[in-house]
Amino acid sequence: MGNSITALAHENLIEIRNLRKVYSNGKVALDHIDLDIPAGITAIIGRNGAGKTTLMRILSTQLKPTSGTIRIMGLDTAKYEKRIRRLICSIPQEASPIGILTPLEQVKMYLVARGFSYSSADAEARSALADAGLEDNMRTPADMLSGGMKRKIFVAMALASGSEIVFLDEPTTGLDPISRYDVWAAIRRLKSHVILTTHYMEEAASLSSYIVLVDSGMVISRGRLGDLLAEFSGKVRIECRDRQEDSISMGGMFIKYVDAEKAEEYVKLGCDVKSITLDDVFIKERIDLES
Amino acid sequence: MNLKFVMMFAWYYGFRAVRRGPSYLLSAMSTPLALLFLIFIISRGRLLNYALVGGFIGLISSVSLSSAGDAAFLRLQLRIQDLFVATSISPTDYMMGLTLSYLIFSIPGLFVYAFLGAIFHIFTPIGVIALIGTLIMLTLATSSVSFIVSGLIKHVRNVWGIAGILSVVMTVLPPTFYPYTIIPRPFLYALSISPATSAAVIMQGVFGLSPVMETMIPVFIIETAVYALIGRTMIKWRSED
Repeated sequence: MGNSITALAHENLIEIRNLRKVYSNGKVALDHIDLDIPAGITAIIGRNGAGKTTLMRILSTQLKPTSGTIRIMGLDTAKYEKRIRRLICSIPQEASPIGILTPLEQVKMYLVARGFSYSSADAEARSALADAGLEDNMRTPADMLSGGMKRKIFVAMALASGSEIVFLDEPTTGLDPISRYDVWAAIRRLKSHVILTTHYMEEAASLSSYIVLVDSGMVISRGRLGDLLAEFSGKVRIECRDRQEDSISMGGMFIKYVDAEKAEEYVKLGCDVKSITLDDVFIKERIDLES
Repeated sequence: MNLKFVMMFAWYYGFRAVRRGPSYLLSAMSTPLALLFLIFIISRGRLLNYALVGGFIGLISSVSLSSAGDAAFLRLQLRIQDLFVATSISPTDYMMGLTLSYLIFSIPGLFVYAFLGAIFHIFTPIGVIALIGTLIMLTLATSSVSFIVSGLIKHVRNVWGIAGILSVVMTVLPPTFYPYTIIPRPFLYALSISPATSAAVIMQGVFGLSPVMETMIPVFIIETAVYALIGRTMIKWRSED
């Protein structure tokens, strides 16, 4: 009871303090992370190997941290692992349904694992699959479904679970644009708090209210989208093929941030002018970290 | 324990798999039946009773051990195990569900052996009771071994190869289909690393095919308990890596 009160009274959804994860091969996956995650949808963004999945696996009690503490809704993950598991739903990266089972069977099995009765699992599974856009395919074996439909099975699990917090590790990786939009729509229907990882900046910008940028096992920036973009206020991104003064070399291009009114000068030099996006926040933070 | 989940997992992953892919059944039965045929031909029927008793043990052992492949595949490739970690089920629930689903593959094969055993009059009431008890323990022991091995597998590419080797080495090498008295005692004890060895020695004694070897009963019980405990730890439910 005491912990429930703590959970309800807690300001942040998740509090991470001095979290460190070193794998047995010596690789430092997460390095002294301090982070507060608020209620709502939070996106954790980073490149491949940045530590996003390690962080998600630790938060969802699948992996033990080397050191540090995590409190989810006020509950310490080291002490209240089982209680936390009842509060969360975690969809692993690249999770794939069992090919011989239908979406209905997979979601029902997942719900029964969460403690639902057979009858309520059946009703909730049907409703969630319909919400996720799989009404016509809920009795088709999963190995006959497209990649997007397979991902939607897991989103349906999250929808039906009624969990307080849903962890989605790269829910749209490898999907075509239309399937990605479908999965986004299904995620928006979740009534839970959502923590998702992605390396698609537009996905984070579209779905989330709070954004965490991770690189090399460290949190390099965090905040609401507007706050993160604020330091670029009035600026645009210039992409040139030739080196410019104070430009950043990236992918064979030279990138520079200038006030919008100066953009015309660079257009005359054959450069492209782009609006500021989360990509730019990530690039700048990454450059700051390296320097 | 979430028995509802255990039964549902077993039903879906076992029965539905058989219904939608009947080849699983034939695959599970093919090796023990082929060995039965081979032993019958080579021994001109002399070792038929050994092969029939061994068939029960060989079928359960090989099917349970080959579940190592699925356990590793579900963890490494489909990430289904990770999905279930963040629920209220325990690793034991998950292991039991997967084990029972594999047991479903064995059922038709067990009926075939029971039919053959009845035709050749090998059964006695006590023998049948002992056989059922032994097969239940063997299922627990061999599926635990499969979870231990699956926990050690780090790459999907090794999954099916290792499961296949494990199934053959731990089922065919032990005296499952031949009299245990043929092999020297030190080798017999060494082969006891496979639960199929102690199970076969006990059953050969119970059915009067070979002398009773009492020491194998505690060996069987202890190794089953040890494998079950290690399997629960090695399943990587909340892993360090």
